Amino acid sequence: MSEIASIQPSAWEPLTQQFVFRRLLEAFSYPGRVASVARTDAAPVLSLLLATLVDAEIALADPQGLIGADDWRRLGARRAAPEKAHFIVARGDLAPAFEPSLGTLESPERGATVVLQVESLGVGAPLSLSGPGIDGAATLAVGGLDPTWLARRAAWNSAFPLGVDVILVDGTRLAALPRTTRIKFEGGH
Amino acid sequence: MNPGYELPQNEAGYSFGFLDEYAKREVRRTVLKAICIPGYQTPYASREMPMGRGFGTGGLQVTLSLVGPGDTVKVIDQGADDSVNAVNLRKFIELTCPHVDTTEHTRDATLIQSRHRVPEMPLTEAQVLVLQVPYPDPLVVVEPSEARRKTMHGEGDYSRLLTKLYEDIVQFDEITISHRYPTRINGHYVIDPSPIPRYDVPQLHQNRALILLGAGREKKIYAVPPYSQADPLAFDDVPFRTEDFTDEYGRRRACARCGAIDSFLDELIDDDGARIWQCSDSDYCNERLAAAGKQEVARA
Repeated sequence: MSEIASIQPSAWEPLTQQFVFRRLLEAFSYPGRVASVARTDAAPVLSLLLATLVDAEIALADPQGLIGADDWRRLGARRAAPEKAHFIVARGDLAPAFEPSLGTLESPERGATVVLQVESLGVGAPLSLSGPGIDGAATLAVGGLDPTWLARRAAWNSAFPLGVDVILVDGTRLAALPRTTRIKFEGGH
Repeated sequence: MNPGYELPQNEAGYSFGFLDEYAKREVRRTVLKAICIPGYQTPYASREMPMGRGFGTGGLQVTLSLVGPGDTVKVIDQGADDSVNAVNLRKFIELTCPHVDTTEHTRDATLIQSRHRVPEMPLTEAQVLVLQVPYPDPLVVVEPSEARRKTMHGEGDYSRLLTKLYEDIVQFDEITISHRYPTRINGHYVIDPSPIPRYDVPQLHQNRALILLGAGREKKIYAVPPYSQADPLAFDDVPFRTEDFTDEYGRRRACARCGAIDSFLDELIDDDGARIWQCSDSDYCNERLAAAGKQEVARA
């Protein structure tokens, strides 16, 4: 990977997106692992992530205005309300103020993907995780995540296969919480 | 593949990995949802590939959406790296993915695309296995309507499939499915694990590597995440069993080439018309032979 890291590509180049996707694949396969997508061109992780996964096929919700105008233009995604969006981008330090799509029994893949911008990954309050992709138990430390998110996520994911999948991003890293991941936290189950 | 055919690479008409970026992005989104809903057949818009549907186009689209510089790809067809499907797909990957290495050794590969076998050598967390799937839905034998099958899958209703297995036992004293054995993933969805033999099914359980299954013609991608439950459908009093490789004296047959008694064997007819058994996984067999050769050299 060092070979392509050294040529400083932008978020919009195919090989950068391939690189970011493989880090995402690792994060989703092994929930709790923090994958670094730090690159020399210092594009924010959120931009890299959206460029990798979102295009004109996607309804994207950004209720707090975290996506820049340049990114919106390049992505070409439809703007949508969080209730109808495939992807929702939100601040992790504020409690959720929407009900995302959970999919249907026949098409659970329509459950939304929620991208939460948090302060830090690997540092902060530890969450203990279990479920597919985790050998026994794993711990993920997250800083700057409102605990309401975890309670709401547990409610949204209470009837498998329906649910939402969460991607946490900080400045340079990302981690994933698929709907199958069970989280133990203070005040939760 | 036509040996005289060359992709017009100099005209820059093809992107890295043949698929255009929109196609890859869709496959990538689908793969992530498939991991989040283990065993669910996630629909996607399967693209036309320059080979017939049914020749591994589903697996190939997944592989091409994953692969990048620094990856080492292995392609297996029925256990072997040198049979026609594997050779063609490997050549296609070499042609369309510059700076991607290919290998025949399981342990060197980061990405393994396979038809009909899971490698004998245990996989690692650094590897991804992509299986080519002809028929993704295990319920198709009991329910012709896809809409109804989707509801049955959603509800985890596999009673009719279990009834079919029960009828097999009543008629034949045995569940007569030799390959594509229905397997329940993470306690909910039952998958068709592609035409791998029963012998390989236990390998899906708690594997260290991510296993992705791609069906090109049927436009579905599904996944068995690492460290996941994978339970072949069975009954309390009729447990799941794998292929029986014991001979008439009750001994486990050995590979005629390398002598392995712990591998899946193919039955062959040799030049004299006699039946012999040989490892189906050619890399496993070759590695064993190479190791035995080294031992002999050391002894001499």
